[in-house]
Amino acid sequence: MALTDTRPESGTDASAVAPSVVPSPLTIFGTGDHKAVGMFYVLAALVFGIAGWIAAALAAGHEVGSGSFLTDSTSTQLFQTSNLGLILLVIVPLFLGLATYIVPLQVGASTVAFPRAAAGAMWTWLLSSGVFIVASFIDGGFGGERAKSVSLTLLALGGLIIALLLGTVCVLTTAVTLRTPGMTLDRVPMFTFSMLVGGAIWLLTLPVLLANLLLIWVDHRYGGGTVFGAASSQFGQVAWITHEPQIYAFLVPGLGIVADIVATLTGARLGKRNLLLFAVGAFGVLSVGAWAQPAIYPAFSDDVVWQAMGLLVLLPLLLLLGGVATAFKNGKPSLKSPLGLAVVSIVLTVLGVLAGALLVITPLELRTTSFFVNGQFILVIGAALTAGVAGIGYWGPKMTGGQLADGIGKLNVLLMLGGGILGGVSLCVVGFSTRFSGLSGSHDTLVVISAVGCVLFALGSLLAILGLLSGARKGATEAGADAWGTGQTLEWACASPPPTGNFGDLAVVRSPEPLLDEEA
Amino acid sequence: MTAHVLPPAPPVQRPRVLVVGAAFAAAASFMVFVGLIGIYLTTRSDVIGAGSSWLPEGSTIPLQQPNTMFITLIMTVFTMQWAVWAISKNDRVNAYLALGLTLMLGIATIVMTTYLWTLMKLDIASGTQGVLIYTITGAHIVMLVLAMLFVALMALRALGGQFTARQHDGITAAAVYWYAMVAVYALIWISIYVTK
Repeated sequence: MALTDTRPESGTDASAVAPSVVPSPLTIFGTGDHKAVGMFYVLAALVFGIAGWIAAALAAGHEVGSGSFLTDSTSTQLFQTSNLGLILLVIVPLFLGLATYIVPLQVGASTVAFPRAAAGAMWTWLLSSGVFIVASFIDGGFGGERAKSVSLTLLALGGLIIALLLGTVCVLTTAVTLRTPGMTLDRVPMFTFSMLVGGAIWLLTLPVLLANLLLIWVDHRYGGGTVFGAASSQFGQVAWITHEPQIYAFLVPGLGIVADIVATLTGARLGKRNLLLFAVGAFGVLSVGAWAQPAIYPAFSDDVVWQAMGLLVLLPLLLLLGGVATAFKNGKPSLKSPLGLAVVSIVLTVLGVLAGALLVITPLELRTTSFFVNGQFILVIGAALTAGVAGIGYWGPKMTGGQLADGIGKLNVLLMLGGGILGGVSLCVVGFSTRFSGLSGSHDTLVVISAVGCVLFALGSLLAILGLLSGARKGATEAGADAWGTGQTLEWACASPPPTGNFGDLAVVRSPEPLLDEEA
Repeated sequence: MTAHVLPPAPPVQRPRVLVVGAAFAAAASFMVFVGLIGIYLTTRSDVIGAGSSWLPEGSTIPLQQPNTMFITLIMTVFTMQWAVWAISKNDRVNAYLALGLTLMLGIATIVMTTYLWTLMKLDIASGTQGVLIYTITGAHIVMLVLAMLFVALMALRALGGQFTARQHDGITAAAVYWYAMVAVYALIWISIYVTK
């Protein structure tokens, strides 16, 4: 190779042949291509999503009747494993995969920063995920009786977090340093900005989770397991990432996806964009929850900061809703499935944040009912999953080169809406039932409904995979560079799927919607 | 004749990718210790608030070794900055010397920490205190080793002639991570060794 050659992953040869759409493991072992790495993240996260939601449904099923369905210990471990798994094996990697694929395209870069580190992070995440699942199955969940299996679970979780942090560093560095000329930070697309905010929050809070795990592991392995490693207190030390306000941190990139979809599929520029950027930033800041650890700071729920955060987070959400509503009013909404999924994600987000606001109102005492807390978890995680699936539907044509089957997407709109309402709202109602005795008779029915909701989310994850594959099948309608015909941001300026190097020449960016400027 | 694949436009002035990436990694590493030390201080406050002494009977944490380590690590800040300054002047001999000295002082810190562990007479299984102190100081040794590997890798690349006065991001990035490691030690020094 001559010295003047550019490395494959950083070249800008737009005429190069497009890569294979769905990468085989053989082609992506050792690759630094951000598109292959991103695609693999997305597919693996959706597969884990199917397993995670089914596990959540099984754990809920145990709460029905006498509870003889599973042993208490198995059910508890299944519940804890599914909750952590839905965050670390599904939502974070799903957004990270989309970001690894899309952020370099949105900022006009030829590659992700540190492409080999990004690939290494993905493989480490995948390996750690496998170890986590296997260790959990052999009685190694939190509080499990097989000490070596528990150690393996803790180490796997540590590996997962380090891998996700490394992947996040790659995406953040791309957004900060590899933007094309003229693309100032206030001009980056909403998804990229939301990844900057969400990724920064992950970077500041997931290491604290790693610290918790480290203490649990050291005490469990070497210290006698009487304090941090005590079986009964292990999950309590890490459960804060599944609770308010930290749970919102995993929703932040979803807000950007929704905003990008709404702008493109209504054909309208987002009005008062700087206000929307501020709203995403404020939502992120209000989701920093590493300090609210019940195991270390039991009185956190009496803390006015915690209560204020739970209520104030409604304000940036209202600002975002205003921006989305304005785009609907000013544009011509195209009734495509990604737009439907974006709307469902907004609905579930509003319900999740409203449930969170009720949670911090001390006189209601809803925080003491695990059903209500878990109902809010399902609503927020469901909203994040729906946003991720919407993103797959929206960028799927770019990723596969073919139009996705919209029928599958539309069916998914119903599944995600049903999953959120049945899975989350019904558990919130069960939580209320402990306060209002008139509802207590319907406990079992509502829990079964919640389990059905979780199954719907599992089906939705499966359909998302099928939808993505439908774009890659032979005979799919070719997507073209701008698959929707109304693309505003740079990813719609390169071929679908993008060739090695992504772009040829790019003009200097002069606004947040460079493709609209080009048309003008 | 070889067909050369060249970018179509002149290279754009990029902010320094490796330095920014190292800063993000340093921030994440720093937050691990913020979490650990937050738990340490809260737990210690609870124990002292209950009327007990923090360290178990028979255990002690002498201050001489932690102070020596702190001074050593402060010296490494100067040697690391010396390396950055030297490579930015294309003074490779001084850069090699400074990087080598930094690594040696890093090894000295590891040795001193392990020596301190032998002096403390604190059993890891003795309870909360042992777990917390060994986890935090042990994790810092891990961060120090990572920083030393980063510096060693960049030193080898420098020996291979890779850095110049205009482009020495690798050394600067290693320095950023090293400074974060020293800042973490400052936190440990004040919260574990001094205010025990």
